[in-house]
Amino acid sequence: MKHLLIFFVAACFVFTNASAQEITVSGTVSDEKQQTFPGVKVVFANTTDGVVTDGNGKYSITTQKKDGLVLRFSYIGYQTKEFLVADQIELNVAMETESQIFDEVVVVGYGSTRNKELTGAAAKVKGENIEKLNLSRMDQALQGQVSGVAINTNSGSPGGSSSIRIRGLSTFGDNDPLILVDGVVYDSEGLNALNPNDIESINVLKDATAGIYGVRAANGVIIVETKKGKLNAKPKIEFSMYKGVQQTANKLGLLTAEEYAVIKNEMFAFGGQSMPFVNTAIGEGTNWQDSVFQSSPVESYNFGVSGGTKNTRYSLGATYYAQEGIVGGSKANFSRYNARLNLSTDLSKKLVLNSVFLFSSDNRSTLSENGIGSVLYNTINAFPNEPIRTPDGNYSYLEEVADIINPIAQMENSYNYSIADKFVGKEELVYKFNKHLSFTNRFNYNYAVVEAKSFSPLAWYGPGKYANSALNAELESPLVEIADSVFVERGASVYEQRSSFSDLTFESYFNYDRTFNEAHKVKTTLGASVFQRKGAALNGTAFNIPNNSWDYADISANTATGGYLNNVGSFEFKERLVSAFIRAEYAYDSKYIVSGILRRDGSSKFGPNNRYGLFPTLSSAWIVSEERFFNLDAINFMKLRLSFGVSGNDQIENFAYRALLNGEGVYVFDDLIVIGTALGRAANPDLKWETTRQFNAGLDLTMWGAIDLTTNYFIKNTNDLLFQPDVSGVIGSYGPGGSSPIINAGNVSNKGVELEVAYHNKPSRDFKTNISLNFSHITNKVTSVPEGVDYLPGAQFSVGGDVATRFEEGFAIGYFHGLQTAGVFQTQEEIDNHDVVQEGARPGDFIFIDQNGDGEITFGDNLDKTFLGSPIPDFTMGFALNLRYKGFDLGANVYAAIGQEIIRNYERQQPYANQLDYVINRWTGPGSTNEHPRLTTGETRNTSFSDYYVEDGSFIRLRNIQLGYSFPKKSKILRKLKIESLRFYISGNNLVTLTRYLGFDPDIGGGTLSAGVDYGFYPQAKTIMGGLNIKF
Amino acid sequence: MKNKQTRLISLAVLICGLVFSGCDKFLTVNPPYTQDAENYFQSPEDYEQALIGAYDLLQGTFLSVWISEIASNNTIAGGESVNDTQGLHQIDEMTHGGVNTELRNLFRWNYAGITRCNFIMENKDNIEFVGKDKILAEAKFLRAFYYFELVKFFGDVPLIINERIGAQEVTEIERAPVSQVYAQIEKDLLDASLVLDQVSLIKGKATKGAAMALLGKILLYQKKYSDAANVLDEVINSGTYSLIDDYTDLFSVANENNSETVFDVEYTGAEGGGYGCLICLEGNAGPGFQGIRQYDGPIYGDGNSYNLPTQNLYDAFDPTDPRRDMTILDIDAFIAAQTNPENITYGIGAGGHTGYYNNKYIKRQNELGLPDNDLTSPVNYRVIRYADVLLMSAEAHFQNGNISEAQNKVDEVRNRVGIETITVSSIDDIFNERRLELACEGHWFFDLVRWGRAGSEIEGFQIGTHELFPIPTLEIDLAGGNWSQNNGY
Repeated sequence: MKHLLIFFVAACFVFTNASAQEITVSGTVSDEKQQTFPGVKVVFANTTDGVVTDGNGKYSITTQKKDGLVLRFSYIGYQTKEFLVADQIELNVAMETESQIFDEVVVVGYGSTRNKELTGAAAKVKGENIEKLNLSRMDQALQGQVSGVAINTNSGSPGGSSSIRIRGLSTFGDNDPLILVDGVVYDSEGLNALNPNDIESINVLKDATAGIYGVRAANGVIIVETKKGKLNAKPKIEFSMYKGVQQTANKLGLLTAEEYAVIKNEMFAFGGQSMPFVNTAIGEGTNWQDSVFQSSPVESYNFGVSGGTKNTRYSLGATYYAQEGIVGGSKANFSRYNARLNLSTDLSKKLVLNSVFLFSSDNRSTLSENGIGSVLYNTINAFPNEPIRTPDGNYSYLEEVADIINPIAQMENSYNYSIADKFVGKEELVYKFNKHLSFTNRFNYNYAVVEAKSFSPLAWYGPGKYANSALNAELESPLVEIADSVFVERGASVYEQRSSFSDLTFESYFNYDRTFNEAHKVKTTLGASVFQRKGAALNGTAFNIPNNSWDYADISANTATGGYLNNVGSFEFKERLVSAFIRAEYAYDSKYIVSGILRRDGSSKFGPNNRYGLFPTLSSAWIVSEERFFNLDAINFMKLRLSFGVSGNDQIENFAYRALLNGEGVYVFDDLIVIGTALGRAANPDLKWETTRQFNAGLDLTMWGAIDLTTNYFIKNTNDLLFQPDVSGVIGSYGPGGSSPIINAGNVSNKGVELEVAYHNKPSRDFKTNISLNFSHITNKVTSVPEGVDYLPGAQFSVGGDVATRFEEGFAIGYFHGLQTAGVFQTQEEIDNHDVVQEGARPGDFIFIDQNGDGEITFGDNLDKTFLGSPIPDFTMGFALNLRYKGFDLGANVYAAIGQEIIRNYERQQPYANQLDYVINRWTGPGSTNEHPRLTTGETRNTSFSDYYVEDGSFIRLRNIQLGYSFPKKSKILRKLKIESLRFYISGNNLVTLTRYLGFDPDIGGGTLSAGVDYGFYPQAKTIMGGLNIKF
Repeated sequence: MKNKQTRLISLAVLICGLVFSGCDKFLTVNPPYTQDAENYFQSPEDYEQALIGAYDLLQGTFLSVWISEIASNNTIAGGESVNDTQGLHQIDEMTHGGVNTELRNLFRWNYAGITRCNFIMENKDNIEFVGKDKILAEAKFLRAFYYFELVKFFGDVPLIINERIGAQEVTEIERAPVSQVYAQIEKDLLDASLVLDQVSLIKGKATKGAAMALLGKILLYQKKYSDAANVLDEVINSGTYSLIDDYTDLFSVANENNSETVFDVEYTGAEGGGYGCLICLEGNAGPGFQGIRQYDGPIYGDGNSYNLPTQNLYDAFDPTDPRRDMTILDIDAFIAAQTNPENITYGIGAGGHTGYYNNKYIKRQNELGLPDNDLTSPVNYRVIRYADVLLMSAEAHFQNGNISEAQNKVDEVRNRVGIETITVSSIDDIFNERRLELACEGHWFFDLVRWGRAGSEIEGFQIGTHELFPIPTLEIDLAGGNWSQNNGY
């Protein structure tokens, strides 16, 4: 109404001044395809005179004549054009679309919209930015690309997974977002199978507008689109490949044999034991790390064809990728074949068929990693005075500690693989009733067959070693008593599992999009979806594999007496989801946009009491720059966004609402194992999904035509967390195989600010720059814990040690909790005069701070423990630079995570275990140091979990740097070879990491309560690659 | 045009309607091939299977044995460091409080056992079949066993019988007085003893003798001496049991289920296991944990040096008493006596070292289970052996004034190991004999407590507090915070 009034007043003004000297400009506006362009705003700058082009793109505008009159043509999504007019003229204008990010199409779930009209907080990453990094997994490539999305590596081993956290940790359980590839649900573990080269774009829905996916949207949604062809385009053939060498980015500073001998002697002497080394001049000794880490290859070959005819678009491709581990080489490798077909064809004028087919076959072998007994754990703790092999050629036994084994022998005895063949596809029929209304029906499927095998040969690591499977060094088989005095040999064994998983989704929806009277734009989506996931597996173990050899490692080759050793297992599950959803959007005058979403889900994960849920979302946007009053020249585009909505999380095990008899009830009668039944997890018929309420306020700006800026502030409160907290032992759910019921309790809040800035400039024909920077700050806080519970315990520090992480009200999820130190006692006198009693303290021991002020340090309770840090960074940053000058291009990608802490938990507190070389600076007498405690094999509290073991895990990493050269388009060589373009490049990943963290790699993932706990993490490799891209 | 749109809208509505009308049926997915807790107990086999599940928790007894020795003056905690299984170190030093993983495990495991028994009792009337009475009797025996553990450690505890309870109901349950818990235990054991066989053909099953002996022990704990004497004498007079000749043969796998065995917890080495879930093991975790640290030599296997006998215990034995060396391994003396002592090595843990190892339950090379063999010893834990019955009977008779009966029983125990008899002139003589005969078998702390001697024997023991262990603080919280903590904690 107000606007009509302004218009009316303006119109009157024009009429009343008709007699003054006037100027009239008229003409036709067209778009890029030379078609007439209705609805374009034509305004004289700094006046109120404006019109809109008519149905034929024609306009005529009159204003008072004066100097410096500027006529401005604008339309959302198109570059604004300005012309200086002095006289009455005819002016025909061709509009050009903007090449800036706000014009891009963003997929928002069951439809798409232009970034400019987006009401929610979403981000888009182009496929080329993913492809360029040459990483095996798309999620690894996503690190640092989008604000508010934290990617941490769970394992740097080939094929290792990452954790994806959109806008912080919000649940105790599964924090993975919903991932959809061309609309097909993809679980984050299975992302290995996805080829980064196939990706056209990744859209991340971060706020409540993800609520179109209802009960699964609370952790955000990642929508991956694969590459598509173009209509009326000649076949475009592409080939790209790279080859590289990987090395460890970091080795730890460990004690040399001589340092080790000196320090161990001292430790033993302090512990009142005889010194183990008579002679300490034993030189450098063995560098176990040098023997374990190796250079290993990585390579990728990718081939693709895309194009289209009059009514068909196609894109197809094939890729091979292979990577070996920097630890273990071929024993820790990953390789993958991908094939892809993306086909879209107009079956008739009104009916379109979209078909996607993705095939992948990946093959992975792994070593034991990330924990006591893993290869790197053993490498760090192996004794430097021992050789790898003894003079007789056998691997050394490292005899002094039962649970440290020779890591080289361990790798040699590791045999396993897992092959996953995966078929992902979509068949979609879109019927277009008219320009405005379409009806889409699609069928998505995701079928995977996984074949896994692992072989446990008879192995001997030395007397008393936990990992021995043989009876002695001669590799004799142990005997098992199967009946009274009847023994059978238990030789090498092989475990095999075949499992299959299938997801089927049927979706059906209407899209309606129409603009009435040139100002009222209505968009609606209405639809329904049915989803089913099924899985089944069969596994078996066979013993007495011939020759103790991997060559015969198959169940068919077993020679064990039937029935006694060999065993089998299986499982099956099924889950279903039924949903209906509606989204309605109204935009007035391309300025004011309001959108509402309502989704109803029914999920088989929950019992009849709480099976259905309703998820509403409201969002709006105001494009300020479209207002007439808005005339800041520096700002080309400005939009304000608000959204609020509710979404859910149903990521729990199936059947958690029921009490099952899947506990373990096994006992021994007559010396034989008898298997009974027992209660498993307790029931909770009232179980329901977690609910996330999220508010988002955002601002999008384009300035000086060169800088795009997006910023968001959000509050994300997750309530009714799906929990499996401790329950009273009296309920009886802590027997073998039993567990407490999953309940809804506890709340978590994440608040944050996100900022993305992109600068693009092309100062000359030859020079082009693109710089982008993103920044996220998230405050995570547990706002309530289940009733009756003070905190939920998380990861343990060291062996059988203190609980080091907690879920507790008022703190970040998984924060570190332990004793705080205040230096080291230097003398007995200092201890005696200390105003706090610290039992057992001796000179050289830590001074612990008496947190509760009772004058005593108590180790048996938590009273003197406090907050020691959090694994959640204060802020993360991503920075990308792309420069192009003539044929050369230079790109760099930097990621930084600042303000998080890591627990150093890979050191074994065993008398003989090797140690990091910081212990050289240990306390040796009064005044020697106030930082490091004395070392002893005797009783000490210095190994209790304290801030001494918590390190600053901040880091800045140059994730990728790349220098390429493209041959000039018209160069003779290219013409001769009939090549359209040819580019060579060299590239390096993880070349530089700035950090103070002592461990291998500060980029550590992990579970919700074990995040930031370093168990001897398999580090990410440093890679140098060379590659080429050819287009024909 | 209008018509078309109306049609479309009706179509849309129809689709949505269809989708949701068939929903409930579509969304009711039953777990494939899985038995449900609510539709179980349909056949005799179901009862037998559930009973095996109830027996399973007996295997957690290794923990109670540890604590009963470490808390006493018999042993120290030991281990890799003072942070290694901290709860045991705190108990060793009598500094334990409400935050103690080991005590909490004990609390949880025994209630898990009780719940599995109650699950059977809850469904006891579902069907009738021959042999059901015996299954129910065994369930009652097990329930009594688990409740006795709880009442011994924690005093007043919630008493739940014949039903399972949920998280909400827990908050409404009070701690039942010790007397009430004991009354239930007595009733269960008496019921069981009327049904159970005198001797079971299946090794490991509860018998009438086991029920009676446990009942006698419980009566003794309540100082009901004359009842205790009667019940224990019934066990003795049944003629089922006798002491075996060789004391040093009592604790081997080879000699399990002998005439002295009244009740054992059964273990096997035929299933491997890991540290992740100690209650899931089918082997005995005790011997490996109590094994010699980093040992490389004959006879013994290497272990984790837990639960190490003290000098005080060693000195309690007369050097001529063969039970000393069977109970305690003097590691340095042992090594020195071997043919090539210089080749034999062992390590010392920072959790403490006494020079002695628990020789009754220790990892031996000829008694190894599957990997990790620190945890999978096949050695049964002897819960009640006949010598214990004799000494309990002696104690009951002495307290009743029947000194000659007491003397006879003590003589029988001493005669077996071929050492001089003593004249039983005071109750101390019987107490001392109990220590010598049963050291490191998980009785001593509670013996000292019930005799009121813990205060003078155990360093750091505070009279009025340490007779009971604290209820785990988290368990009080999780039960709604209404229970009071035990005195002094």
